[in-house]
Amino acid sequence: MGASAPRLTSRKLVMRETVSGYLFLLPSLVFFLVFVIYPMFMCIYTSFFDSNMGKNTTDVFIGLANYKELFQDQIFLGALKNTLIIVVVSVPTVCAFSLWVATAIYDMKPALTSAFRCIFYLPVVTGSVAVTVVWKWMYNNYYGIFNYVGKSMGFIEKNINWLGDAKYALWCIILILFTTSVGQPIVLYVSALGNVDQTLVEAAEVDGANRRQVFWKIKWPQIMPTTLYILIITTINSFQCFALIQLLTSGGPNHSTDTIMYYIYYTAFKLYRYGYGNAMGVVLMIIIAILSAIQFRMGQEK
Amino acid sequence: MKKLLAMVLTLCMVFSLCAIGPAASADAQELTLWTYPIGKWGDSATVEAMMADFEAATGIKVTVEYLDYTNGDDQVNTALEGGAAPDLIMEGPERLVANWGVKGYMVDLADLWDDADKAEVNASCVSACFNGDGACYEYPVCMTAHCMAVNYDRFVAAGADQYLDLENHTWTTDGFINAVKALYAAKNDTVAAVFCGGQGGDQGTRALINNLYGGTFTDAEHTKYTANSAENVKALELLQGLDGINFDASIVGGDEINLFRQGILDMAFCWNIAQQLNTDNNDAELTNDGEKIVFMSFPAEGDAKLCGGIWGFGIFDNGDEAKIAAAKEFVKYFCDGEGTVPAVKASTYFAVRGNAGDGIDLTGVWADNAIMNEYTKLMPLLGDYYQVAPKWAEARTAWWNMLQRVGAGGNVADEVAAFDAEVNG
Repeated sequence: MGASAPRLTSRKLVMRETVSGYLFLLPSLVFFLVFVIYPMFMCIYTSFFDSNMGKNTTDVFIGLANYKELFQDQIFLGALKNTLIIVVVSVPTVCAFSLWVATAIYDMKPALTSAFRCIFYLPVVTGSVAVTVVWKWMYNNYYGIFNYVGKSMGFIEKNINWLGDAKYALWCIILILFTTSVGQPIVLYVSALGNVDQTLVEAAEVDGANRRQVFWKIKWPQIMPTTLYILIITTINSFQCFALIQLLTSGGPNHSTDTIMYYIYYTAFKLYRYGYGNAMGVVLMIIIAILSAIQFRMGQEK
Repeated sequence: MKKLLAMVLTLCMVFSLCAIGPAASADAQELTLWTYPIGKWGDSATVEAMMADFEAATGIKVTVEYLDYTNGDDQVNTALEGGAAPDLIMEGPERLVANWGVKGYMVDLADLWDDADKAEVNASCVSACFNGDGACYEYPVCMTAHCMAVNYDRFVAAGADQYLDLENHTWTTDGFINAVKALYAAKNDTVAAVFCGGQGGDQGTRALINNLYGGTFTDAEHTKYTANSAENVKALELLQGLDGINFDASIVGGDEINLFRQGILDMAFCWNIAQQLNTDNNDAELTNDGEKIVFMSFPAEGDAKLCGGIWGFGIFDNGDEAKIAAAKEFVKYFCDGEGTVPAVKASTYFAVRGNAGDGIDLTGVWADNAIMNEYTKLMPLLGDYYQVAPKWAEARTAWWNMLQRVGAGGNVADEVAAFDAEVNG
């Protein structure tokens, strides 16, 4: 009897703590369910319907017809190609550049490191509309600074219509995306490099390791979780490139800057084809999930 | 006690989360109006004053929300899908009739029209506000004709002013070609831009191409797009091969206007009276550098047919008959009653009718404004309002994409055929 009473009290305490824990989680869980899980479910569900805007219209179940149409839609396939180009170019360059900058600035004087972090982070905290307006001005066909400098320096003979020429437009978008994407990885890398165990670094140096070996054998493995995180967020951000396209090119010229996100927006909010737009969303979700899983796997193996 | 208080607070929070239910029946004497920035209908001080007058006259209070053309459609669509649409909306037939009306969201306003109204209101406006089934989803209040503009000083300097009929603000296709050649010879740079970076201001490029050789954009019944015609192909081939004309896929109508005002372009194809009156950077009718701007109809071999802008009110069917009745009172007040003069003045456009209500003369609304008066010369050139044709959103996108391909050197006949297949297929 004497022993069971404390056991009961202890069980009660555990139960109370568990309940408290779940109650603390509840607000986030509610938001997660309402704003992530439910829309995700609705997106998948609606993608099997011919769903359009209209007061008296009803959604008609069409099975996989939206998905079939997707893979015969040349604009969607073009948008998928453009999106993949953006990801393939943007992700490695953002990671490599961020790592390079971070290694160069993390062991500078604290004030200088902070100054560089601020400079590189500035495009991230500046509103995307403001950033876009400035870039649009720089790319301008008639009075943009790129054409002005290019002609003054003799690099180009006549003005280039940077955003109006299919040869250049996507690369212009990638350049802007690059400048707005490197800020956060640089800050994360600076922080990760600062947290590398110095005793291991010193031990390696005592054992005769050169700077390159110290970096790749000691520091790189320790910042791998940060690299994994950066790879995943940069991949997702690149896949979701929308605002730049919407504000600068509307997918043109001749669909050369269409991305899946922009095409989803156009289909759902301009053509009001919700089912078809959702099918694209599902495909995008699957691609991002697969790539993230691969990156996770690679990160774990390392 | 503490526990009780915590319980009460928790319940309050839970119930507040569940507070999304059927709203209590609102007062019919309170309406909501969403308006796009149609002249000063986007200016709260002007609109609030009109709403105050309306409330004084009828006892109906109107709350106004201001939309913009970038996000306005998305806001309205979201409200419609969420069952939170406003009672009234102010815009043109391409949205009110061809989009939300066709989709069943609008109240039929046919009962607001009698034979006298139909005879009084401009015929294009009447036709645009009714759909094929005889339902009316917009009651019009104002209209304008979209036109183009030229930098007169540059024309004079290049000797191209001889091609302009300044009395009537018209010119011929040959005159336009010769003027472009003269201006290009004078500056050896871009004279005008066929902007095709998006749909903004695309009525300008449509009107230019349709007018040059007498082409059309849709058939008279607005059932089929007719851009794939010999006249339109000829016009596009002309523009494609004309030095000084740049098919520019990096700009839209608004950008073109800025470039024209800055003196970089000598002509603007996206123009109307609001631009002519604009004083943001200099006096009205002057570029930023003080050169004279003259508005012109589009060049044509015969009479030009200008694209129209028509604006008015529509009522969303929210299922509340009392509110619908109050909204109809609002519509009559501003479109055919005491409020029509200030409503038209606020729009900075022209009345769609000569008289409103019981003998309110609208013909002299702009008698005190010389520029507006001069602009009325273009109003008889107002052409068919075809923006209510089916698949309009697709057609607009297909149009600027087609221009981009032509500008990139594509074969005009092939590209126009591709446009035709996309929008008529």
